[in-house]
Amino acid sequence: MQTFISGFRTTLSNILNNKQTFFLSVATITISIFILGLFLMLFSNLNGFLSKLDDEVQLIVYLNDNISPAERKVLEDIISKSPFVKSTTKVSKKLAWEEFQSNMSENLKPLLGMKFNPLPASYKIQLYEADNRLVHIRELSEQLKDKKGIESVEYGQEWITKIEKFMFFSRLFLFAMGGLLCFGLILIISNTIRLSIYSRRDEIELMLLIGATPSFVKVPYLFEGMLQGLTGSISALFLIKGINFYLKDQFQSTIESISMEFQFIAEPYLFGLVGLSLLVGLVASYLSTYQFLRINK
Amino acid sequence: MIQVFDVIKMYDGSNPVLENFSMEIAKGEFVFLTGSSGAGKTTILKILFGQERFETGQVLVHGINVGKLTHKNMYTLRRFMGVVFQDYKLLPNKTVFENVSFAQEVIGCNRKTIRFKTWEALKNVGLTLKKDAYPSCLSGGEQQRIAIARAMVNEPSIILADEPTGNLDPNISIEIFKLFEELNKKGTTIIFATHSQEIIKLGEHRIINLRQGKAVEF
Repeated sequence: MQTFISGFRTTLSNILNNKQTFFLSVATITISIFILGLFLMLFSNLNGFLSKLDDEVQLIVYLNDNISPAERKVLEDIISKSPFVKSTTKVSKKLAWEEFQSNMSENLKPLLGMKFNPLPASYKIQLYEADNRLVHIRELSEQLKDKKGIESVEYGQEWITKIEKFMFFSRLFLFAMGGLLCFGLILIISNTIRLSIYSRRDEIELMLLIGATPSFVKVPYLFEGMLQGLTGSISALFLIKGINFYLKDQFQSTIESISMEFQFIAEPYLFGLVGLSLLVGLVASYLSTYQFLRINK
Repeated sequence: MIQVFDVIKMYDGSNPVLENFSMEIAKGEFVFLTGSSGAGKTTILKILFGQERFETGQVLVHGINVGKLTHKNMYTLRRFMGVVFQDYKLLPNKTVFENVSFAQEVIGCNRKTIRFKTWEALKNVGLTLKKDAYPSCLSGGEQQRIAIARAMVNEPSIILADEPTGNLDPNISIEIFKLFEELNKKGTTIIFATHSQEIIKLGEHRIINLRQGKAVEF
């Protein structure tokens, strides 16, 4: 306990003695975490928007005109037995044609003179909300598509695959950027700590010679690195919150029309960013002190 | 208490500074370590408090095998010892009081003990009136007294002094030497490295003379 109290006092004194370097390092961390956090916020909002779209995805099973009652029974059994199905709407050929007619634009009205109804009957299947809803839709679609009496099964495969790819690459980009920024931060913080150590080199050497434990020497610098990480990440989050307020103020009414709202970074990510920053500070300062103590045994 | 057996120490890998060096120092003894410049006095002291490694041989201090200590547990050895350096190694941005109390802070003493023991140590070396002064404002003799106070404040059982009078004029040197003798009377083992014959003549203590890296006792 005494080591920690004394370590913290030394940390504060180190910071006061090297104010400029400390704040320069904090500013660098702030900028890096700000960039990372901003992307994370954009990603969260995009994710929210896409999951809104996902909710509207339904599975439509188009039936052949000559489907037999037995084949229809097989399909209905599969659908009703699936635990993920929330509701099923039967759309007859006639109803489909009526819906088509009511939605048709004026330019296409001549089509109404057709002597036959080209539209198939269908089942519109709605699944329960779940994180892996798309997986369930895909599974059900696989189960149904080769059954007799089915013309086709659709749920917007093409655009869903595109969105999934986009989200995958966005996530990859975030991880890569996060990794690079962390690497850069480790270099910067470890250099700042190294400067701080070198400015007190004689004192540390003396400490070791008169019986200080290596951890007594390390603790103030570990605190300093963590404090840099903490201050930098909190400042960055305040800046991002500011931007979030500004965006809400300017564009909330626009996106409300699609029943969405601007989200800030989700809490787990928020703590994740602060934790990451603390960890980066700790690792960087550990590397510097370890290197110094290894040379000055 | 201190046993050194057949120690070989080389700096450049070819010419040994210490060649099969051996010595034994009993508890409470006052020993002069002498020899010409470069004879290896400082090297022996550095080996004793673990600042230098050695090639072969064995060094035991209070039964601790110094050669086996890693830098992580070296502090266990150093807490038995107080070291007085020739160049004092005082911290210029700390006051006299802070310089002495620093030795206690680094071993984790509480504030009350630090205040009490630092005051006692300063009283023993006659520097209480200058407790708030910075080392740069003090004479060489006074700076060496601070270094002695810092070495004794943790009440070590051994004090290693590396040419503590090397930079001081004769009168001050005598005063400093007397301080070490007083510490020795209280039971502290003293190893006093010096090349000054005047200082050696002041006390009737065992002399370990270093010649070409080997010990010759008187």
